[in-house]
Amino acid sequence: MKTEVNALIAALLISVTVIGGLLGAARIVQSNTLKFPIRSAAESIASQNPKAAVGAKLFALNCARCHVGDVTGNANPTLNEITERETDQRIKFAILNGIKGEMPAFGKKLDENDAATLVVFIRSLPDKRRNLK
Amino acid sequence: MVMFSASDFFNGTFWERLHGGSTHLPIALALTSAVLDGIGSLVPPGKIRENFRFSGYFTLLLAALGAVPAVISGLMLTHWDAFGSGVILLHHYFVWPSFALLVALAVWRSVVRHRPSKVGFSIYLIAVVTVAVGISIAGFWGGELLLNN
Repeated sequence: MKTEVNALIAALLISVTVIGGLLGAARIVQSNTLKFPIRSAAESIASQNPKAAVGAKLFALNCARCHVGDVTGNANPTLNEITERETDQRIKFAILNGIKGEMPAFGKKLDENDAATLVVFIRSLPDKRRNLK
Repeated sequence: MVMFSASDFFNGTFWERLHGGSTHLPIALALTSAVLDGIGSLVPPGKIRENFRFSGYFTLLLAALGAVPAVISGLMLTHWDAFGSGVILLHHYFVWPSFALLVALAVWRSVVRHRPSKVGFSIYLIAVVTVAVGISIAGFWGGELLLNN
């Protein structure tokens, strides 16, 4: 019985260490995950709009692979164009349900609130095309 | 003719493929371990029970070891986001407790080996079934993510 109790203590200690280590590492690594352009954009807007800063994190984790960190994206039309011509509701719908043949649905990964946060972030970004002119 | 190069192998979907492949091992082994130990508890004490228990222990140990690459590749896949939201959060709600319990059980069993008391082993059996169910549910939600994106 004594061996079992000692084994239980060892098991709990090792388990907590492994999980705690992984979650701690995840927290540290994740804070450095955001790609530079997104992070700089997030930092510049965080003081004015904290919700947009949360959206920047969601964007880096879910959207930046296709839409790239500078938010001009390799997909057409660019996100700047989309925010000009689409309503918040339609952008949220596209995020959650996807666009057939063009963009995957994120409805299983993100909820309504996440989609709204992403819209806030995308709308808070400066228009890159203006900088190019 | 489709050419396949090393750069294709390590492209953006590398961690997706690695995670998808590696997660099946701990799920299958945890289920097998629970079944083997369950059967081992039903048969009369003797050589056959010992064999079932040894197999149950060995498969649990392999499940715990196999869960490490599965968890690491999953973290790489989510860019080290350990929780997320929506279905991925649901997936993580089952992943982390199951992984913690799996590691704890593997350590406990390795220390106690073939000398557990009846009460101790009964509690262990309940815990290993919980791990098998939990890890399977985590796998289900992981599959939902894959099939819906």
